[in-house]
Amino acid sequence: MSNDSENIFSNYGIYDLSDNLELFLPNTSIRFQKISDNAFSYFRENSEGKIIEKIIPVKSDDIKIELAPIRPLNHPARRTNYVFLKFDKEIYLSENSAASIFVHCPIEIGIFLIHNSNHESLDCITCNPLTSRFGLYGTPDTGTLCKYAKVLLASDYDDSISYVNGVMQIVIENTLSFGQTISKVIFPITDNSLYYDKSKTILDGIKITMKKRAVVNIADVKTTSVETDWVLSPTWEDGTTNTTLEMGLE
Amino acid sequence: MPLEFLQSLSEMYIVGELTVLSLLIGGVIMAGGIILAKIAKLLFHKYYAPSLPKDTAQNISKLIYFGILIISFLGFTSSQGIDLSGIMVAGGIFAVVIGFATQSVVSNLISGLFLMVEKPAKHGDTIELPDMGISGTLLDVGTFSSKIRRFDGTITRIPNDKFFTSNIRSLTLSTVRRADVMVGISYESDIEHAISVMRHDIFENMPFVLQIPEPEFRIEELGDSSVNIHVYVWHPRDDWSQVQPVLLTIIKKSLDKSGIEIPYPQRVIWTGKD
Repeated sequence: MSNDSENIFSNYGIYDLSDNLELFLPNTSIRFQKISDNAFSYFRENSEGKIIEKIIPVKSDDIKIELAPIRPLNHPARRTNYVFLKFDKEIYLSENSAASIFVHCPIEIGIFLIHNSNHESLDCITCNPLTSRFGLYGTPDTGTLCKYAKVLLASDYDDSISYVNGVMQIVIENTLSFGQTISKVIFPITDNSLYYDKSKTILDGIKITMKKRAVVNIADVKTTSVETDWVLSPTWEDGTTNTTLEMGLE
Repeated sequence: MPLEFLQSLSEMYIVGELTVLSLLIGGVIMAGGIILAKIAKLLFHKYYAPSLPKDTAQNISKLIYFGILIISFLGFTSSQGIDLSGIMVAGGIFAVVIGFATQSVVSNLISGLFLMVEKPAKHGDTIELPDMGISGTLLDVGTFSSKIRRFDGTITRIPNDKFFTSNIRSLTLSTVRRADVMVGISYESDIEHAISVMRHDIFENMPFVLQIPEPEFRIEELGDSSVNIHVYVWHPRDDWSQVQPVLLTIIKKSLDKSGIEIPYPQRVIWTGKD
């Protein structure tokens, strides 16, 4: 895997880790160095100047690294599965109508260690920390904590900003007997897969149906899979294992 | 040979029908019960407790431990030929006497049971008892007392009746919490500009501060030396330490950077004709 010729940054994809490897992302530098026959060192400096260093002992020579977009849930800390997207412009839907829009959704970038076809999460980063903020939907005692982002509407799937956000399609259907203005959407993003091509990202979409249930008007949100030949991104799992202090491990 | 030894023990009477052998058997039953209870508790903690909520795990653990001990005790008393019904009757009489003598103990016991049923706070919750001036992490609600690890690392034992009847402020039940600080700016400073720079720097430097609800800035008072602004920000409940202790630092840096004066206390004195 090589860097995109039009881009000074490393593309998403799989890289061989036979020797030293350096990856470049906006405001972030990543370096793998072979320190012995059976070990690599990992160094990463992120956009906030924070440095992470790890030693990776390996059993075989067949080690690869995958750089891929992941869901925006891990930075600055994993606290929720929900995403709160606030549209920059409100969308008005008249009665019994539907609309399809594309929006920018923030992403994070995961670094995965591949050996024996297993993907193991090594690190996750964000190239724009300002898109990693929290918001609350509801009241402080019963509300839902979400990752919050103000998002712009996108023109199509190719409109994403590399390494910072991906494009998601949102289909909104209003089956109510009166018009509705939509300014935000809140949903669990854990069901949405991400796909990448070079430095671009797209996400599975969502379908929002505004309907009446008994006497209450509700918005029913469902995930819709996107049909694409882009590469499916691995699912990020926190690689930090929490154990008890037994045997001095923590 | 061992049989003869046991035979001799069975013929050695201590009190009434109580022989050394029966006492030995009772001791073995009791010791076996204690060991079994400890092993069962240990195995439960090792294999099952990690998958359960901490307070549920502790209650089940106590149930297993004391359940086995009680069964062992019943085995011990029956091996000694002790008739418990007599003790029950005697217990009824003594209960009244003992009840008066051990009011606080019983009160603690009953309060402990109510605490386990009502669960005003769970194991691991961060709580504050304003009446007692105690705040920290709830470690255990025991039979007679509860333990709280205070933020300085020390552990305070609180009798259950006091814990049960006091006000309990839970700091971890809500999804989010609010942090607040007061800052004063000079009368010459532009209030809107000061709020704008503080809002901007809080957004840029404090990732745990919620954007919805937005940080709030209230002009609290026109003080002797400064216009006092109260700043309120919300954050995820577990991230207090990422927000409250650094909020004032960020605001101070922000105002310094923008040249907005944080005045010292000052008084203008007019003297006589001059």
